[in-house]
Amino acid sequence: MHEEIAVAGFGGQGVLFVGRLLAEASLLEGREVVWMPSYGAEKRGGTVWCNVTISDEKIGDLFITRPTAAIAMNPASLVKLEPAMKSGGLLVVNQSLVPSKVSREDIRVVYVPANDLATELGDDSVGNLVTLGALVTGCPVVSTSSIIAVMDNLLPKNQRRLEINKRALSKGCAWTQGN
Amino acid sequence: MTKFSISELDTVLYHRPESLEDYPFHFCPGCGHGIVFRLIAEIVDELNIKERAVCVACVGCSVNSYHYFNFDGLESAHGRAPAVATAIKRCHPHLVPFTYQGDGDLAAIGTAEIVHACARGENITTIFVNNAVYGMTGGQMAPTTLVGMYSTSTPGGRKPSLSGYPIRVCEMLSTLDGTAYVARVSVHNPAAVRKTKQAIKLAFRTQLANLGMSLVEVLSPCPVNWRLEPVKALEWLVKHMLPQYPLGEFKVIEAVAALKKGDRLCTKK
Amino acid sequence: MSKKTLMAGNIAIAEGAILAGCQAYFGYPITPQNEILEHMSKRMPEEGRVFVQTESELAAINMVYGAAAAGCRAMTSTSSPGFSLEQEGISYMSGAELPGVIVNVMRGGPGLGNIGGAQGDYFQSAKGGGHGDYRVINLAPASVQEMMDLTMLAFELADKYRNPVVVLADGFLGQAMEPVVMREPVTELPSKPWAITGALGRAKNIINSFEMDPVNFPPRVKLLLRKFKKMRRNEVRYEGLNLGDASLVIVAYGSASRSALTAMKMARQEGIPVGLLRPITLFPFPYEALSNLAQRINDFLVAELSSGQFIEDVKLAVGLDKRVALVNQYGGVPLLAEEILEAIEKMIKQPVGG
Ligand SMILES: Cc1ncc(C[n+]2csc(CCOP(=O)(O)OP(=O)(O)O)c2C)c(N)n1
Repeated sequence: MHEEIAVAGFGGQGVLFVGRLLAEASLLEGREVVWMPSYGAEKRGGTVWCNVTISDEKIGDLFITRPTAAIAMNPASLVKLEPAMKSGGLLVVNQSLVPSKVSREDIRVVYVPANDLATELGDDSVGNLVTLGALVTGCPVVSTSSIIAVMDNLLPKNQRRLEINKRALSKGCAWTQGN
Repeated sequence: MTKFSISELDTVLYHRPESLEDYPFHFCPGCGHGIVFRLIAEIVDELNIKERAVCVACVGCSVNSYHYFNFDGLESAHGRAPAVATAIKRCHPHLVPFTYQGDGDLAAIGTAEIVHACARGENITTIFVNNAVYGMTGGQMAPTTLVGMYSTSTPGGRKPSLSGYPIRVCEMLSTLDGTAYVARVSVHNPAAVRKTKQAIKLAFRTQLANLGMSLVEVLSPCPVNWRLEPVKALEWLVKHMLPQYPLGEFKVIEAVAALKKGDRLCTKK
Repeated sequence: MSKKTLMAGNIAIAEGAILAGCQAYFGYPITPQNEILEHMSKRMPEEGRVFVQTESELAAINMVYGAAAAGCRAMTSTSSPGFSLEQEGISYMSGAELPGVIVNVMRGGPGLGNIGGAQGDYFQSAKGGGHGDYRVINLAPASVQEMMDLTMLAFELADKYRNPVVVLADGFLGQAMEPVVMREPVTELPSKPWAITGALGRAKNIINSFEMDPVNFPPRVKLLLRKFKKMRRNEVRYEGLNLGDASLVIVAYGSASRSALTAMKMARQEGIPVGLLRPITLFPFPYEALSNLAQRINDFLVAELSSGQFIEDVKLAVGLDKRVALVNQYGGVPLLAEEILEAIEKMIKQPVGG
């Protein structure tokens, strides 16, 4: 397998963390992986992205240009991601913040009201986990059980955070399944 | 709230200074740099020196200074702004160069340059913004970071046994005979901002009167790197920075004192 | 399979240094390598070792000089503008025969430039950017694992030759995370009887690079030159991929070589037999390996993140009768595999001599 995943949104939306979870989960599953963040003088509130390449082979390029799967957390990232997507790829759109629809017909799209679903869980900061659940259900680049194992590892001290993250993840999974 | 348009008002009370470009500041929410920029622009307008003013930008969050001001400006290498300003003033004495420097820029990598500009008594002005961290690079310890204060390179807070003590720049530089005017001000509330304006204006007038080196240190909040909300950051500044960095004038040579007559200025607390 | 940890390049450098027995770290903040300084601010005190955030890169390199003179494994890390400032100190270290490691996570230049990854320091690093007749070994990692491994090697080579060693990485590699196999810590450090440790029970030691009488200096330089010759003989390192059947060879180092790897695969899928030669040491440069290749290969494509610096060494190696083309980016922008593939296609379409 060889997947190139892009995650983009506002700073503070947990974009880098989602990428990190994907990367750690792939490593757990014994694959080669590269996690590459955008970095720069972007101040808080600016657009942030990261890409994750997952492969069975040694990975070359640190950057990706044609994502096979992607998450657009805010309107600006959809504008960038839509034309870049590889034909047949899966694009998860955070409907809570992105009002527009995707016009390309050669890609799969999941619209998920991530922030609203997160708010239902009582913490609107876990919208990122909702979109991650939606992504891995539509395009199984890693298993949800690997993601959960990674979270157990990364957040051992924060049980409350861990629990709500897990619930958000499964809410995202269910959303894609139900649509 | 009542709505009214500018035309309904008799007088415009507040407008963009001519010396300030219509160019969005890139600063984080609650940052103090923007206030200081505006004050400098107002002062340059009031002193009518837009055609002579030169902003020597440093390397730090204020690196883009020359984009904000509507007069000449240039970049300098990290810490070297006083050397660059010295050369500009010596080559063109009618110009009014000022450096705009952060605490990392002025009090760490550029300590030699600022000390020797002061020692030579260069007839330039330095605006020194002290936010107690390296803002641009992500909140590492600065020479002005308080003892016990968190930064990204002092895990658990600054420990004197490991990283020494904060530098009080005004106190240090005012011992040098070449300095004519040295003051520390702050931007934590409107009254303090007004005093800041008076001090910076006097610094420029010191240069215009050829009286020697003038330096104004401005205590300024950095909410993002302090990990505080903007209003909390102002409270933090008052509570923690003011005791370490008392406001006031540290050097006012007689000729500057004479200039001051007629002006109301901040007095040493 | 040994256990792998997901790690950022900058952290791998810091951890590599700790594993290599680095006893003292000195640094000044500069993006895109702040994570090294920040990580060391936590880890070095934990290990009971020396950490100082300095007031400038000038101070940092001179502290490395001091710690090295005192017989310690010492390092600093910086990015391009800071590396420029350190050139004087590196010249002094080489002149005084002091080992030490300088990590340069390059960014876009010249001047203040920007914080994107770049390779514009090639000349000042590989050729020695300071004054005088000296050389420093340059190790160029191309993966996070190599960020760790080559940092460890750098300490070893620095001690072996009593000369500074540069780890020349770039901002993209510094920020990227990849799986890393943690190495075993170095437990035995070489003894340094020449070091400044106090003349207790021995004759005094002096460390300097100064000779009053010019007549006495050339023999000293000659000693250094002999060392540099030895480095050229013993320390050339490179990686070759698919060179056997290649009709075109991409030459690239660091993160540019990563894009080149993908470009090579893409070209081969199109049926173009492309190989890759990746120098790991930039000084000493793999001239011989390249000139051997040039005996049967006519087309070389140089991929670099600078405006045509690295290509000069490739041309020197393969000779003027070969086609050497350049595909590059500079100023902090990454070079993408697709751009390299395009350059490959263009090159093979153009007839030789055309
Ligand atoms: C030679 C060199 N070293 C390091 C840097 C990286 N750098 C950019 S800004 C800065 C410090 C900024 O802090 P400060 O002067 O306190 O200003 P602030 O950003 O807080 O306004 C540093 C270290 C550089 N540009 N050049």
